[in-house]
Amino acid sequence: MHRVTSYIVRRLAGAVPLLLGISVISFAILKAVPGGPLAAYEANPNVTPEDIARLERVFGLDQPVHVQYLSWLGKLLGGDWGYSFATSQPVLAMIGQRLPNTVYLMGTVYLVTLCIAIPIGVLAATRQYSVFDHLVTGGTFMAYSMPPFWLGLLLIIVFGLQLRWFPLGGMTAPGATAFDLVDRLRHLVLPVTTLAMFGTAHYVRYLRASMLETIGQDYVRTARAKGLAERVVVLRHALKNASIPLVTVAALDLPELFVGALVTEQIFGWPGMGRLFWDAATRSDYPVLMGILSVSAALIVLANLAADVLYGYLDPRIRYS
Amino acid sequence: MDAFGRGRLAAILTTLAILVGACAPAAGPVPAGSAVPAGGGAVASAAPVRGGTLVFAIWQEPTGLLSNYASQTVAGIVGRVVVEGLTDTDTDGSFIPVLAKQVPTLANGGVKMLAGGKMDVTYELIPNVQWSDGTPLTSADVKFTWETYVKDPKVVTKDGYSAIEAVDTPTPTTAVLHYKQVYGPYLTRFGGLLPKSLEKEADLSKSEYNRKPIGTGPFRISEFVAGDHITAERNPSYRVKDRPYLDRIIFRSVPSREAAIAQLKAGEVDGMWNVLEAQAPDLSADPSIRVIATPSPTVERIELNLAKPGDPADPSLRHPVLGDRAVRRALNLATPKQQLIDKLLFGKAKIGTSPVSQGWASPKGLSQESYDPDQASRALDDAGWTKGADGIRAKSGVRAALTIMTTSGDKVREQIEQVLVDEWRRIGVDLAIKNLPSDVLLSGSFASDPRKRGSFDAVMYASTPAIDPHTTMLRYTTSGIPTAANAGQNFTRFSNPEADAAIAEAGATVDQPRRAELYAKALRLLNDDTAIIWLYDRQSLDAFRANVSGPRGSVWQPITFNAMDWSIRK
Repeated sequence: MHRVTSYIVRRLAGAVPLLLGISVISFAILKAVPGGPLAAYEANPNVTPEDIARLERVFGLDQPVHVQYLSWLGKLLGGDWGYSFATSQPVLAMIGQRLPNTVYLMGTVYLVTLCIAIPIGVLAATRQYSVFDHLVTGGTFMAYSMPPFWLGLLLIIVFGLQLRWFPLGGMTAPGATAFDLVDRLRHLVLPVTTLAMFGTAHYVRYLRASMLETIGQDYVRTARAKGLAERVVVLRHALKNASIPLVTVAALDLPELFVGALVTEQIFGWPGMGRLFWDAATRSDYPVLMGILSVSAALIVLANLAADVLYGYLDPRIRYS
Repeated sequence: MDAFGRGRLAAILTTLAILVGACAPAAGPVPAGSAVPAGGGAVASAAPVRGGTLVFAIWQEPTGLLSNYASQTVAGIVGRVVVEGLTDTDTDGSFIPVLAKQVPTLANGGVKMLAGGKMDVTYELIPNVQWSDGTPLTSADVKFTWETYVKDPKVVTKDGYSAIEAVDTPTPTTAVLHYKQVYGPYLTRFGGLLPKSLEKEADLSKSEYNRKPIGTGPFRISEFVAGDHITAERNPSYRVKDRPYLDRIIFRSVPSREAAIAQLKAGEVDGMWNVLEAQAPDLSADPSIRVIATPSPTVERIELNLAKPGDPADPSLRHPVLGDRAVRRALNLATPKQQLIDKLLFGKAKIGTSPVSQGWASPKGLSQESYDPDQASRALDDAGWTKGADGIRAKSGVRAALTIMTTSGDKVREQIEQVLVDEWRRIGVDLAIKNLPSDVLLSGSFASDPRKRGSFDAVMYASTPAIDPHTTMLRYTTSGIPTAANAGQNFTRFSNPEADAAIAEAGATVDQPRRAELYAKALRLLNDDTAIIWLYDRQSLDAFRANVSGPRGSVWQPITFNAMDWSIRK
């Protein structure tokens, strides 16, 4: 086990310069975007050029870019994530308000996706070239090609506007004070369907392909020859090995649990991280953008590491060196 | 898995607009017994219902609600139900008292001119007003408001507050503002009072009071959930008896204007602000929805660069084509404004004449020549611009070829450009289109904004003056020509010493009719030069479900200004 521990430590140490590099590049890109956080004041007839110059000083925007970056980094290392230029709220608190909503949405999506994708993928592979398999192959191809924004709009129009089955957006009904499970679920259906459709198709295709490969292998034939029940052969012998590619994909998708889905949250008015990022981007709110980008970069690095560690568990032939 | 860029998202939201528009369902159910106004603009006359919740869609996220820190329209819409000021502006542009007993003027002795060019303004507060936390409103609150504006580095503007050197509070209801100099727009300040009890906050902008302000208005904020909703509930200390009618207003955050329209039609929300002209006919046709049209001070224009485009431009060099007044005049004559309004804006605007379209300073009798392409051609012929083989005019080797810029993705503006390409070509002027995202074109930064750099021929955008037009008028002064140092907004590089003098004098004059005269003089000079083609004066369009009574538009105030009179029949 200590070999795995030292592997993790080495990978984490390697991640530090990587994250620093990512933050430099993110900051440089944000700064290269024309406009800036004070553009909003420009159209206000009450704001004078002197006011703009003063606000520039207050936010440190009059400093050279590298000074602004170092000051941001220095504060971050000291645990200070800074304050939003737009709302004056602490960045960490803003992320903290949105994070539970995104975890709630994306966690549901993740669960729904896995619960649907695994059985469908296994069934399609074990019944290759059956009608069911053809339906799955065609269906996943379609779902995979459908952009979530388009599907989301379509669902809103059909099930929200025309049939009036589900609300058009938001997380709860306006004015809801007490927790209402039915209301919560009604608001979840359309965004979860939108996101789970793509994810399911994605996972099913991976799982089906790797199951087909595994099922044809000698050890599976041996298991069958031993007289094991087909259920046991498929689930215990084939699925465990076939799930390695799926684990990679699923682990790499984990950061989305926290970062959210930008377009889908925007379309459904979901008060999560995706909308926070969108709002901050439209306002060039650098502290918030940098906060979210840093969190997501760190999560992606961690998710990659988690995927690699999981490999070793699933496939003992993989060695950490 | 769907991290798209901004441009792409804008395209997506446009798609939403189109899809929602195309697939809009039949009109939603009309509550039985509710009064449905026929004209779409009438106010339901039945007695107002007491109680109830109104859901109002906002599709921008207010950053905070204190007017000293926020610069967004949406912050004003939400904040207006909570925060009040000393005075306000009614729909015809005259000032009305709110927390002041009367509007101080020279005539009623509220304004006194002093030796040394100073002036005093005295406000008497109406008695027995309480803040929403129950403490009484006093003149110390006026003083604290001034102190905050002067001391806090994060306020949006100090303009007008820094002109005050001291505030005296001789009685709890009297505040005397001592101005260092004569300050014409004095009535436009103190539009949002802050209670002195907030003195204890080290940084007011970061405090919870920025999101849940203590105010004197009909409502107070009980919940501020960023990205989801803001709840304003009835303020028990509100001074007007039996108001507000509503128990609460929930400002619901929706992703876009199009989503707000869809939710309004579906009855998920009861009201929304800022419908586009092109969306209004569809909404007006729905009997369960009432669209309220109010004249707005926003003026859509095409500004012509009088200086030779450069990066940055040198204002002493004339534009090779637009430097000729005859060309500018011809371009205005070849712009079919009424046709654009009728066809592209569904008649929901009127022809523009100046940058100040509303209020006391709006010049009367100003106009620009109306559409007459034949006269435009003659004007160009007379000025020596002769047509070449390709139908494009030239004079002394300079081809009449121009580029127009506007904000990309704005459907109406892009359609207007298409029309102008045809119309201007007909009189022999070649027009190319080069659009930029609004946060580049209108960034206001000297580093990137082509208007500021002077790297354009013609630019189409809209601008909204404040009730006091002085800042807007500074856009037409020589000292307002943008440089890296001055942040001026005279994008056309119009320069006329007579106009400069008139605008400077107006800024240092208190007498309103005299100021209006001076501004009108400067604007006449600007129009004589045809430096800017005024396209149209916009309207504000707000929409409500037909079972909502009370909302009415006001030119200078957000639609929520009379929220205490709103009621809803469920």
